[in-house]
Amino acid sequence: MVTSPNDGLSSPRKTSAINPLTWLLRNQGNWLPPLLGIGGFLLIWQLTSAFGVTRLPSPSSLFTEERTRILIFYPFFDRGGLDKGLFWQTFASLGRVAQGYTIAALVGIAVGITVGLKPTLNRAFDPLFQFLRMVAPLAWVPIALVVFQKNQPAAIFVIFITAVWPILINTAEGVRQIPQDYRNVALVLQMSKGRFFSKVLIPSALPYIFTGLRISIGLAWLAIIAAEIVMPGTVGIGFFIWDAYQQNYVGEIVLGVIWIGAIGLILDRLMVWLQTRIAAGQ
Amino acid sequence: MTALVDVQNVEKNFPLSGGGNYLALKGIDLEIRKGEFISLIGHSGCGKSTLLNMIAGLDLPTGGTVLLEGEAVKRPGPDKMVVFQNYSLLPWLTVRQNIALAVDEVMPDLDRSERDSVIEEHLEMVGLTPAASKLPAQLSGGMRQRVSIARALAIKPKLLLLDEPFGALDALTRGNLQEKLMQICNEHELTAVMVTHDVDEAVLLSDRIVMLTNGPGSKIGGILEVDIPRPRARLTVVHHPSYYSLRSEIIYFLNRQKRVKQWQARPHKVLPRHGLEKVNLDLGFIPLAACAPMAVAEAKGFFAKHGLDDVQLVRETSWRGVVDGLVDNTLDAAMMPSGMPTWMTAGGHGGPPLPIVSALTISRNGNEVTLAKRLAEQGVSTVEDYRAWLGSHEREPHRIGIVHPASMHNLLLRYWLAANGIDPDKDVHLQTLPPAQMLADLKDGSIDGYCIGEPWNFRAASSGHGVPIVGDLEIWSGHPGKVLGAREDWALAYPNTHIALTKALLEACRYCADPAHWQEMGELLSDRRYLGIKADLIRFSGQPGDSNAFAPHGEPHHLFFGAGLNRPSRSEHLWILTQLARWAEIPFPRNYVEILERVCSVGVFSTAARELGLEDVSYQRSGIELFDGRPFNPEDPIGYLNEVSLHRDFSIAEIPIGQPRTISA
Repeated sequence: MVTSPNDGLSSPRKTSAINPLTWLLRNQGNWLPPLLGIGGFLLIWQLTSAFGVTRLPSPSSLFTEERTRILIFYPFFDRGGLDKGLFWQTFASLGRVAQGYTIAALVGIAVGITVGLKPTLNRAFDPLFQFLRMVAPLAWVPIALVVFQKNQPAAIFVIFITAVWPILINTAEGVRQIPQDYRNVALVLQMSKGRFFSKVLIPSALPYIFTGLRISIGLAWLAIIAAEIVMPGTVGIGFFIWDAYQQNYVGEIVLGVIWIGAIGLILDRLMVWLQTRIAAGQ
Repeated sequence: MTALVDVQNVEKNFPLSGGGNYLALKGIDLEIRKGEFISLIGHSGCGKSTLLNMIAGLDLPTGGTVLLEGEAVKRPGPDKMVVFQNYSLLPWLTVRQNIALAVDEVMPDLDRSERDSVIEEHLEMVGLTPAASKLPAQLSGGMRQRVSIARALAIKPKLLLLDEPFGALDALTRGNLQEKLMQICNEHELTAVMVTHDVDEAVLLSDRIVMLTNGPGSKIGGILEVDIPRPRARLTVVHHPSYYSLRSEIIYFLNRQKRVKQWQARPHKVLPRHGLEKVNLDLGFIPLAACAPMAVAEAKGFFAKHGLDDVQLVRETSWRGVVDGLVDNTLDAAMMPSGMPTWMTAGGHGGPPLPIVSALTISRNGNEVTLAKRLAEQGVSTVEDYRAWLGSHEREPHRIGIVHPASMHNLLLRYWLAANGIDPDKDVHLQTLPPAQMLADLKDGSIDGYCIGEPWNFRAASSGHGVPIVGDLEIWSGHPGKVLGAREDWALAYPNTHIALTKALLEACRYCADPAHWQEMGELLSDRRYLGIKADLIRFSGQPGDSNAFAPHGEPHHLFFGAGLNRPSRSEHLWILTQLARWAEIPFPRNYVEILERVCSVGVFSTAARELGLEDVSYQRSGIELFDGRPFNPEDPIGYLNEVSLHRDFSIAEIPIGQPRTISA
């Protein structure tokens, strides 16, 4: 519908609600720059591929090549074995991440609280934590394989060991950072340990714990690739990429990478959403 | 009334990270009765919050004990609930939940509905029922502190401890909350201890105010009883006669603490130079027209000329500051009222007698009695009028401001009142006020008048708030006004410095006596370092063209220099001793001859005058006779005392001042 001149009299807000086009135009500052940025990036990629500067397939080839086109449009196929759609590959990886991450969260929060409450323990273990934190996920893979002998538990261990440090360190910091005022309130009211834990400690440290959880989910997702790449014969997005590399399907690698980025982004947003829901009012 | 809390000889030592200890508090003794409201006041870092925390049990003393109802406080508990400065509400709980947290914890025996009614009652008490479901972040600071107070009161503590509860609030909110707290305390007969920075808050809320000295090793510097009846309202408190004296007492205390701290922060080495034992001096003075010689000696370089290279003039706001400065050795010497050397030597300042020497009379005259405009409007223009007016206004309190009990203002005013049939203690009340406070008090009507030196009389007259009624020229023309005073032990330790100082000031006095310099002196004194008021308000003499109300009475004749003017006079100091004894400020010393001999450093003055070639100024003055014509015979002071018609019950006693002793440094 064409806006009649009379509409100018009603509130601008109402007009924008009625007409999405007007809204888009008014808010172009929000969506235009990212669109231009991504578009520009794709364009350069397309051009460099087209002129043979790199051997990377161009973005458009993901749709023109048959293998990748099928993978894009049919994520749910399952031909048995390792030949599965991207959804199932991702699902398998996410399953491992979920297991490793859950263990990491439980252990990280528990140890973090203990360490945060006891300065002596903190001094004893902090150097160790800081040291282990610096070891890259890939370096854990051979150790995990030696210790667990099997692919599945080893992968979960790698995820756990990568994800646990930010949770642990942030939780400990959150507990240490409980304002003296809150502790004083608990002291003056002679709160029991359990009540202090549930009424003061956890709510107060919650923002820190969530920061740790959010950093860790990203790390866990990063680690899955490292864990799966070197674990032949497992279904998962990591091995999918490795497999594609072995068979020289460069287009599949690119597609896998895009897929991983998108999932990581979604996981991160999910944690942010969860944080705002649970830690509301702080 | 029994002691609810008993703080016994408490000491607190904090270990420092770099090794060693910081002694925060030492030797604190305090009894808090049931139903009492106590304020702890002092500068930052004086340990007042530490003391509160020890009463709360949040911190344990390293020495001594804190007893609550006879039992030692070993740990915190809900019976001594704390209201913290930053409210300490849990931000993830609503107002009601925050209060409920405390109530549930402390009163588990009550059932749910009883606990709920306790919570609602206290929400109601602080007027927060409408905000009960809000989170603290949605409330203003004042509302948060109300929640905190409600939480504290809901658990019915024996003792309420408040740590600067209103410190972070704006003035309006603070005022409202103070009223609220006062009302709640009255209704529930709470016992409370509050830490505060705010002098007005302390006076308004407290029954007693505990003033703490600076750390390290803070002690209780004084406890003030606030005798303002309850229930109190801000406006009536402000107009209560005790209010300003309590307030100025606390402010004086805090300023004194600050000054001592500043003094301690500076290096204090005795600098000998130019054959003088000490050339770095701190000299106390009060901003008055009579301080001109001090200012001139500094500005015209007379101190430096006589070898005193590093003289600091320390401006005190009241004479009490000068007394304390000499007592605790933060001042080397000071300009002081002429009665102060004998008064301190006789122990009038309350401590053991402290021999003070005076080698120079700096000024004479310059004082006047001013009455408030409202009295003049009711026809009071002479002392007879005032006597009649007092008779017809018997029921009101009549207060007249003086600057210090040992000042000539007090003695002359009393002499004048008494000679005119007004008892200076029974018919009126003479109140010691800092000079700068007088005019404000005269304006708001809390005093009838005052007796003080310039520029305060001329200021009152020129601003229309007061009318001069009598000048010192009509009471005792040429009376000693301000003198130079120093501790005897100081004078003995630095004899040449003492002479140099006397020389510098005597030369400055000569400069000040020349009317040609008066305008320049007025401009000099108007500087912020000295009086900080407009130069044309500072006068050393009456001037043609003065308003009629001003001229008929004694114009301020400051005498700074002349034959017999500057030499310390034993008979004048003796007259002062008789008057101090007459009004029972001190007993009359049986050993007055010894005291006068020690106080009047005639030798120092004579040496100084001779070295300056000013021998002619050292002649004795003639006898002392005041306006009523009663002669003073220095041979028989006790006879003179017995003769005066009106006096208090005075005593005669030996004042033990020991042998002259030098500083044992």
